[in-house]
Amino acid sequence: MRMGRTVATERRTFVGFLLVAPAVIFLVAFFVVPNFQMVVYSISARSEAGVMIESWNVGNYLRLFDVDLYRIVLIRTLRVSFLTTIISIIIGYPLAIVMVRGSDAWARVITVVVLAPLLVNVVVRAYGWTLILSKKGLLNWMLTWLGLAEDPGQILYTEWAVVIASVHVFIAFMVLPLAGAISKIDAAVDEAARVLGASEWTLFRRITVPLSLPGLAVGTTLVFSMTAASFVTPQILGGNFSALLGSLIEQQVMAVHDWSFAAAIATVLIVIVLFINLVYLTLVQRYFGAWAPVE
Amino acid sequence: MKPRLEGLGAWVLYGLAALVVAFILAPLVVPALMSVSNTFYVKFPPEGFTLRWYAKVLTDEEFLTAFLFSLKLAAVVTLIVLVIGTFAAVGLVRHQFPGRGLVQGLLLSPLIFPVLVTGVALLQFFSRLGSGEAFLHLVVGHVVICVPYVVRTVSASLMMADRNIEDAARTLGAGPWRTFWRVTRYQIQPGLLAGAVFCFIISFDDFPVAMWLADAANFTLPLQIFVFIERYFDPGMAAIATLMILFAVLLLVLTERILKVSIKKLVGVEAA
Repeated sequence: MRMGRTVATERRTFVGFLLVAPAVIFLVAFFVVPNFQMVVYSISARSEAGVMIESWNVGNYLRLFDVDLYRIVLIRTLRVSFLTTIISIIIGYPLAIVMVRGSDAWARVITVVVLAPLLVNVVVRAYGWTLILSKKGLLNWMLTWLGLAEDPGQILYTEWAVVIASVHVFIAFMVLPLAGAISKIDAAVDEAARVLGASEWTLFRRITVPLSLPGLAVGTTLVFSMTAASFVTPQILGGNFSALLGSLIEQQVMAVHDWSFAAAIATVLIVIVLFINLVYLTLVQRYFGAWAPVE
Repeated sequence: MKPRLEGLGAWVLYGLAALVVAFILAPLVVPALMSVSNTFYVKFPPEGFTLRWYAKVLTDEEFLTAFLFSLKLAAVVTLIVLVIGTFAAVGLVRHQFPGRGLVQGLLLSPLIFPVLVTGVALLQFFSRLGSGEAFLHLVVGHVVICVPYVVRTVSASLMMADRNIEDAARTLGAGPWRTFWRVTRYQIQPGLLAGAVFCFIISFDDFPVAMWLADAANFTLPLQIFVFIERYFDPGMAAIATLMILFAVLLLVLTERILKVSIKKLVGVEAA
């Protein structure tokens, strides 16, 4: 009996390996290896007068941080991601609260509307924004019609255009985790605070926000890293004046053919995204997780 | 009982929510308004009414070719991912083996990894191999970014499935394959469907992988639309955008109504 069990267990282990093998082999071959090779390439080669030279160096990284042109793009990427995250938080909270506490009809409308942009192709979405934000677009027409502005400038091809379009699509990743966290807040806590005379604003500040921090941390992480790694939206709406790191990688590969520098920029992007996903998220959950137990 | 919104605070919140809803819908609705404008370039407000831009777009060789190509690519990718993703999910959920956590981490890691970076790394990888098969490259790239979704949706379904029924089938003499095909397959159908729809959308809509791996003969629809945006300034572009948005709405309705897959589950952000 005991023998049989062991054999069966061993067999199950073997079958388990066999089942995951195709996907694992595929991802190791076409995901792990290529990315690893690229990271190695960023420190094992450099471009001199257009010729790739194989040698260990950190020149590609120094170049990203030293040359003004590139450093500006790096800082802009962080700034645009930061602004997108902050604005998503500001408009995400009211939406999440209405989604959880509002009428069922509202909850349903908000869920569908918030998720809608994710189903629309990114190029099409960006195009939709160009129609609104251009000099002769919908926004300026409205401003003029309402008499709010005489000859408004254009938002298109500025960082703000990129921020607006990024908030538009990534807001879902803020609202849904927030709504999840808020829905777990015990109604009795709210009630107690109200009975003790807390205003709506105090209630929000002292109860809703602290108790929804785990959701906020997840939302912040998703929105920040997705914005930092985006390409199409900054390319179409930011134009040549507001390129982010993604556009820089594309330029280096497609136009300059400097693969090693492109690899270095890509590595920096990986580090930013992994940092925010692993380090930041872990820290927040360690320090604030206790405030609101996540089931 | 959940606390309800009431009083002045409720009106403020509903007002804010209405504004955000308008903000989110605006760029999805505006192209439709512009697409019927009887002018030679897009302008707001639109002038006149015509459907000729739709006629122009729907007979555009490049648009149709790219559309069909993307459909084909997404179908191939979905099939492959469904098979290897389902195998992997069954292995992860139903079997214990050393390194299981590591495998799970690996299979989900393309989710947080910048897609653009995966694309450029693959381009370098393939050019080192000296491979020039663009279609194959695109399939590989899309399979990589789709695997996590199918693994996740199918795993979730497996965890909810009643194992007793599987055990009963085994006891009654069905082999593992037969049990999977006659029992488990039906139990995990929602996960399979959600995974398939998700995978299809990801592949069909992908830009940051295709931009590196496509070539002139293997050009996807998102890349083609990007080219159109830079080339055309007439309402035809708005017509294309409108058609694409209608296509997304169709997918949404299909999945929600016919396949009964919750859209929230689809996007994988089921309120955490």
